[in-house]
Amino acid sequence: MLTTDKDDLPVIETDSDPDQSEEDADDDSGQQISDCGSDSADENTDICPPSSEHMKELEISGYVSDGDDIGGTLTSSKLDSEVFPLQTSEGTKRSVRDWLRSAQAMLQTPQKPFDRQSKTPEDSSKKKRKFKRGGLAERLNRLQCRQRSAISFWRHKSICDTSAATTAAVDRPGVLVLEVLEVHEECNMQLAHCEHRQPPGDGHQHRIAVSEETTRMLALFNRETAAQMMPKPRDVIRIYPPWQSLSIEGFSCPVILNTHFSQKVSSASKPDGSSLPKTWLSAERRGPYFLAQIFGLLDQNKAKGESSAKQVAALDVLSGFRTRHCLSLLEAIEGLGQAGFVDQDVDVVVQRVYSIPMAECSPVSFLKHRASLRSSPAPPPAEKGKTRLCALVQDGFGMFSVLQLQPLSSSDELHQYCQTWQGRTCVLRGIKVVQRVTRERHSRLFGLIDSLWPPATSLKDHGNSLSMLNESRAAGPPPSFCYLLSGQQSSVELAEGQTVSPLYRHPANQTLRDVLQSETKSGRCSFIATVLYKRMPSTDVGQREVWLVLTDSSLQEEQPERPCRPTVALCVSTSCVLTSSVLEALNSPAACDMSFTDAIREHGVLLCAEQSVIKVLSVQPGSSVETTARQDSLSQVKTLPQPPRLDSLSVETTPNSLCTLTGVIVGVDENTAYSWPACNLCGSDNLEVSAEKPQNFHCVSCKSMLDKPDTKVQLEVFLSSSSLSNCTLKVKLQQRTIMSILNTPTLESPELQGYDVESVLGKAVGPIAVYVRVVTRKPALWMGLEEICL
Amino acid sequence: MRSFLPAVAEQLFRDIQRAYQESTQIPDDLLIALKFVFGSCALQALDLVDQRSVTCLSSPSGRQAFQVIGGSGRLYTCFLSCHYCPCPAFAYTVLRRNQGLLCKHILAVYLCQAMAVTQQESIPDQQMSAVLSGTGAP
Repeated sequence: MLTTDKDDLPVIETDSDPDQSEEDADDDSGQQISDCGSDSADENTDICPPSSEHMKELEISGYVSDGDDIGGTLTSSKLDSEVFPLQTSEGTKRSVRDWLRSAQAMLQTPQKPFDRQSKTPEDSSKKKRKFKRGGLAERLNRLQCRQRSAISFWRHKSICDTSAATTAAVDRPGVLVLEVLEVHEECNMQLAHCEHRQPPGDGHQHRIAVSEETTRMLALFNRETAAQMMPKPRDVIRIYPPWQSLSIEGFSCPVILNTHFSQKVSSASKPDGSSLPKTWLSAERRGPYFLAQIFGLLDQNKAKGESSAKQVAALDVLSGFRTRHCLSLLEAIEGLGQAGFVDQDVDVVVQRVYSIPMAECSPVSFLKHRASLRSSPAPPPAEKGKTRLCALVQDGFGMFSVLQLQPLSSSDELHQYCQTWQGRTCVLRGIKVVQRVTRERHSRLFGLIDSLWPPATSLKDHGNSLSMLNESRAAGPPPSFCYLLSGQQSSVELAEGQTVSPLYRHPANQTLRDVLQSETKSGRCSFIATVLYKRMPSTDVGQREVWLVLTDSSLQEEQPERPCRPTVALCVSTSCVLTSSVLEALNSPAACDMSFTDAIREHGVLLCAEQSVIKVLSVQPGSSVETTARQDSLSQVKTLPQPPRLDSLSVETTPNSLCTLTGVIVGVDENTAYSWPACNLCGSDNLEVSAEKPQNFHCVSCKSMLDKPDTKVQLEVFLSSSSLSNCTLKVKLQQRTIMSILNTPTLESPELQGYDVESVLGKAVGPIAVYVRVVTRKPALWMGLEEICL
Repeated sequence: MRSFLPAVAEQLFRDIQRAYQESTQIPDDLLIALKFVFGSCALQALDLVDQRSVTCLSSPSGRQAFQVIGGSGRLYTCFLSCHYCPCPAFAYTVLRRNQGLLCKHILAVYLCQAMAVTQQESIPDQQMSAVLSGTGAP
């Protein structure tokens, strides 16, 4: 008689798998009852065997179909077809009561409106559950069977060659060697807190899997693996692949699963002579978990409005075992639902640190500016605007965010933050989401993100925290959106450990030749260059762009196969913040070396805008400008040819470049030709006619009397050059050149003579170095040039 | 005295949800991990999921409950706010012996939620009270 009284006995579910292997020793050994509630196939087995015990079947079927039993329905319907033949042949053998009962059962049992596979009597002999074809259960069943045979094969193999096992295959990649620190038991599994031990000579392969900071792991062993291995503190165990590593959010250790292929290498304690599995019981058993601790997901059916409230409630419940620590920016942010404070701490790598100018929009400052203009025409200080610290961060999943932090009190602090933060892993705390930006609207920012893609190491996968060993996943396309976050000074905290994160992509310096000749016409580039010439706006620096002409040794050396112009112009736009050391270097006439990080190359033009960082490296000796120490900075200024090689002026010359020019004077701009006295001692132009002696001058700046002041001359001439025909070249000459044209070493008489234009016409000028100020091509080619002194 | 298995389970469900959202597929290694962590009820729960046996009942008063059609066709009512299932396996394996985290019905609920294949049904309040109190006809 089938003892399947569901109401009275404690019926325990068994695995419906055909082969009861070691893995299913999870089930208590006390049970040998198969739960008929779980498996109608089993019921079929028990209830309608292809035997002739129809009488029993009838009774059973009647019994079973008291409940709502599909199997019973099927069974009874099948039995019905068998009943009637019975009746005809042995009608008297069966009581009317039985027949009535089965008929009643058929009528009573409700039909379920879903279709389930009908169990034919033939299936019952296989005692195997037929899963839905193509479904998850069928797939797992297949995987499981494969795994079971692999496990038994491995066990058998490891038992056979135990002597060789200690030294064999340690250097095979993927073997985890762990030292057990502590073991406890939870729900029939043993959890071992372990320390990862690098196998000798294998450090390089484990670099990705285990970094220096996380050598701790939590290994899970199921009952039968643990019973066989008996892990205890200070044991060393080896886990052979395939094992799985699960990284749980909020938990710093990875969790090792699928540890079927494990072996104890050395044991801390001496093995018992009896070798009874007593130690199973010695593992501390954790109490059952709190049942109200749900595993997320269950409240997802609610409407959106309610779900946020539920989320808060759920967080309270779950805060017991989940520290609010997150590895994914996306998760932390999108869990908000709206712009607001992110309450989770997120681990990120700081890829870049830079500063942005803060707009002066407050009414107070505007009034102050007006007042200062009225009072004195003193030039405003160089750094009028305040700057704000920013950082571009990336999380372990590859997602980027721009973090806007506090205003900097001095722009030099930027370099300190850069040094401390760039490349390190940090924890973001108390940040607020401002905006979600997309590629279309912020092409320069995404140009920077593109330059950091693909990432330096493999990224984590959102859908798959499990990583099988040696799995290399292609990084995919660069992200098309990014978040703008804001925070305060305390929002970024360096994580422990001084090492640079493997995700960090250092801005690699290229030579200018590589930059100019590279295949990609637009993008970000970093380089070190010598600034030959600076063109500063006469008014406030912060409001207008600065043009620089750069060169480096790669451009200066001649390569006939791939000719390249020897200098290149770079525009520093107003959105690029210049620190005081950079401004000082730019204001001094000496040439200097500077490093440009993440400069933009757009349509073949170099420029520094937002996210670009400029640093002074070294200047010519004798200057008072500070230098930023860099281990690889050799002063290029000394190594460049003096004077630097320049292109000759040609039809293709673009504005803001340096060229050499040789030509003949064909005209003079008489309107702009004049001379004026200047002080011999300080060079100032601010002279006054002395009150006492009208013949002499008095310098206001250095407060001295001058007998014979210097005379400065300005002259602009038109040149004609043999290399350029049909082109008007107007050159503003320098003092020395002018003197040589006028054929007077100095102008001696205090009263200035007039000069005849004819006296200078036809004179040869050059080769001189000129800065191309402006080029117009219509109606004819016209260039405005300025002679410079390099 | 911290327990870690719940966090492992939760992470697995999160991963399944993401994987399913991205590719309407659950990769093999997640299935293996499910089997490893949950043991024998994993396979049966997946079968229940294949059969789409989980329904979320909701009533106008705002109450919700899950109903799972077990292998025998019997209905089990499970709750949203805590882990409970009236099946004998839960009573024995989870409550009495503390040898399992969940029974296959609750695991099927989680998996259906993760894959968003829970059937939805709304029932009148009276029926909901009957279901929740355990006296209702399933």
